[in-house]
Amino acid sequence: MTGFLIKRLLQAIFVVIAITLIVSSAIRLTGDPAMMMFQGGGSMTEDDLARIRAALGTDKPFIVQYLAFLKGLVTLDFGRSFVGGTQVSTLIGNALPATLLLAFISMAVSIVLSIPLGIKAATARGKGADQLIRILSLVGLSFPNFWLAIMLVLLFSITLGWLPPSGMSGMASYVMPAVTMGVILTATNVRLVRSSMLETLQSQYIMVARAKGLSENKVLYKHALRNCAIPLITYFGLQFGGLLGGIVVIERVFNWPGMGTLAFDAVASRDYPVLQAVITVLSLMIVGINLLVDIAYGFVDPRIRTE
Amino acid sequence: MKTIERGLRAGVMALALSGAVFSAAPALAAGKMTISSPQDPGSWDPIDTFLVAWAAVSTNIFDGLTYRGPDMKLVPALAESWEELDEGKRIRFKLRQNVSFHNGEPFNAAAVKYTFDRLLGEEGSKGPQRSNYIAIESVEVIDDYTVDIKLSTPDPVLLTKLAGYGAMIVPPKYIEEHGEDHFNLNPVGTGAFKFVSYEPKVGIKLEANSEYWGGAPKLSELDFRFIAEPATAVAELQAGRVDLVIPPIIPIGMIPVIEGDDNLEIVSVPGPTVDSLRFNTRDGITADPKVRKAIIMAVDRKTIVESILAGQGAEIATFQSALSFGYDPDLAPLPFDPEGAKTLLQEAGVKEGAQLQIDIRGNDATMNEVAQIVSSYLSMVGLTATIKPYETNVLLNDIIPQGKTGAMFQQKWGGWTFDYDNTAYSMYHSGEKWNPYEKDEKLDKLLESQRPLTDRAEREKILREIGAYVADRALELPLYNSNAIYGVSKRVKGFVAAPDNRLKLTDVTVE
Repeated sequence: MTGFLIKRLLQAIFVVIAITLIVSSAIRLTGDPAMMMFQGGGSMTEDDLARIRAALGTDKPFIVQYLAFLKGLVTLDFGRSFVGGTQVSTLIGNALPATLLLAFISMAVSIVLSIPLGIKAATARGKGADQLIRILSLVGLSFPNFWLAIMLVLLFSITLGWLPPSGMSGMASYVMPAVTMGVILTATNVRLVRSSMLETLQSQYIMVARAKGLSENKVLYKHALRNCAIPLITYFGLQFGGLLGGIVVIERVFNWPGMGTLAFDAVASRDYPVLQAVITVLSLMIVGINLLVDIAYGFVDPRIRTE
Repeated sequence: MKTIERGLRAGVMALALSGAVFSAAPALAAGKMTISSPQDPGSWDPIDTFLVAWAAVSTNIFDGLTYRGPDMKLVPALAESWEELDEGKRIRFKLRQNVSFHNGEPFNAAAVKYTFDRLLGEEGSKGPQRSNYIAIESVEVIDDYTVDIKLSTPDPVLLTKLAGYGAMIVPPKYIEEHGEDHFNLNPVGTGAFKFVSYEPKVGIKLEANSEYWGGAPKLSELDFRFIAEPATAVAELQAGRVDLVIPPIIPIGMIPVIEGDDNLEIVSVPGPTVDSLRFNTRDGITADPKVRKAIIMAVDRKTIVESILAGQGAEIATFQSALSFGYDPDLAPLPFDPEGAKTLLQEAGVKEGAQLQIDIRGNDATMNEVAQIVSSYLSMVGLTATIKPYETNVLLNDIIPQGKTGAMFQQKWGGWTFDYDNTAYSMYHSGEKWNPYEKDEKLDKLLESQRPLTDRAEREKILREIGAYVADRALELPLYNSNAIYGVSKRVKGFVAAPDNRLKLTDVTVE
């Protein structure tokens, strides 16, 4: 087991290093942050640029900058933003909770919607309700999430005036971003719940439960759902990682002060330290979740451990 | 009958008056205005950034020695008067007395010296502001309320530069005591509003400075929110949660949405921003001035301004707006003349169907449309244009400086000093970053010759000469000067749109 853990951990470290290396080198291929600072500022000389580059540290070779970043990663010091010089850790500290909270609520919305709908579709297989749910799920999968977001804003903020169109201030401001994300996730999850439910419902113990005369709800929610929960939980867990990446667009539309907004601004202004930190934190989380899932499997299933 | 009417009128008047008294009272005591700004500058220190979004907020927090308001006139601010000595190499400022910073620290000559020593010293060298004030050799304190700014060479634009950005006067004791990092996030100035709180990527809040030397502002609170997405900013305005959306964010296409809303209006003024499609004057068919002139004549710029810009702009003859110092109202752009263009192309030996590429900023919605129209105008004179959209930073910081553009490339410019020198020098002087192609000794000499002149008339003459020379050499296809477009809620009263986005909101009220 220890060997397995060490192997998985080493793999995770390798993945994080590979991701940060790719991102750090790719962002340096285009544009110069020193020149960005001068925009609209009139003429600048090579001397001016050299001064700024020296102050930002972008005059050093890439490998030196990258090693400094790795060193900062270990000591949890991500440096300062090129735009305004705020500590990157402060920016991440503000943005990460906002994103995580939104992601959790979106997941919750999706779970609450997709489980009953998926079960309904499974039990009414081939009938009207099943068809309707499947069509709706296809529609949900097909349209872009920012479009849904804009439509929700039009309806609930401008026409009805019920919800704030953007920002993070109070409970009401969570509704539209979470619903937008939640609905998109539900479109996929409903299908997953339906198929694993269908599989479970064909098991003999379901037949037994029914034969005992249990109510249909008890059969479905107590016996069937419990048994198909394991693959669902795994899938939802992995989906959470993907969700963190997909939240960028939603944050932009709803002006949500999270990691997506931070990344968006950092790319636009070539703010290397901020972008590197955002990508690193997000990839650490995704890799972390995967690692936990792997380890959990290892505990449960000896076959995986000894592979 | 008459008396009844008169009586009624008096009654109505009395009601209206009492109403005015009642409504005026709370407006003086309170009033919060929420403003959407497209960007978070990250630091409020005047020497750290060069962003319009910084200036929009900070004009309310800080003052300079001089002030330039929405009317573009330079007036005294923290300096009450000034005189030029030593042939423009020394400017003596008489300072305003009894002014203090928001933390209670007195404003005096020492604060002025500290501000410029800091700007030109080590701290300033890390930021983009220093190069603008490089003409300043030293600042000498004569007495508590008199300072001399000594210049190494006369700088005719200096007084304008003192009205904004890096020249905002900062509190010496506060910065020394709390440090640079604290000052970045907790700015203190002498301005009409005091800093309250700042949340990165969310917004900044200010409150009225009742002690303001220019008179207490009528609003009690300003709440600036950073909203980068145009549709979101407009939605907030429509939902009534934002009172003012400042440029540059509202796209031309969204103007009808705002105009169609009874509670909102569009206020626009000519701004500093100009767009042109510059030529690769070194290689290809556009190396020939005849071809460049033909391309200019082939495009109907007037129609572009009227249709695509919906009238929110004006045609230009040179790469500057009508507000710019050096603008020549008598210099007309080349006329729209497709037949003349065809003749010129024939003379130049350009074959039917010759290819050229137009590089533009991909995220500039207006320019995307304009470039397509330009390309169809060009096809009418037998040129085949392809449009290549780039990410803005790639185009600006890589493609243009490296000289890797197509035959034509978009340049957008908006110098805040409203002085043609700022634009022309960067665009046409050889060796400048954004001038990859032109090496013209005559033009270089003209550009250099006006820089030290303090005689305004003489300098204006040379700047106009530069404009005419560039137009004659057809170095670019001048397109338009676009308006600064503000979206305003009708509950805002007394709002005056500023061309340069630097809004001092002292006289504004909200209902």
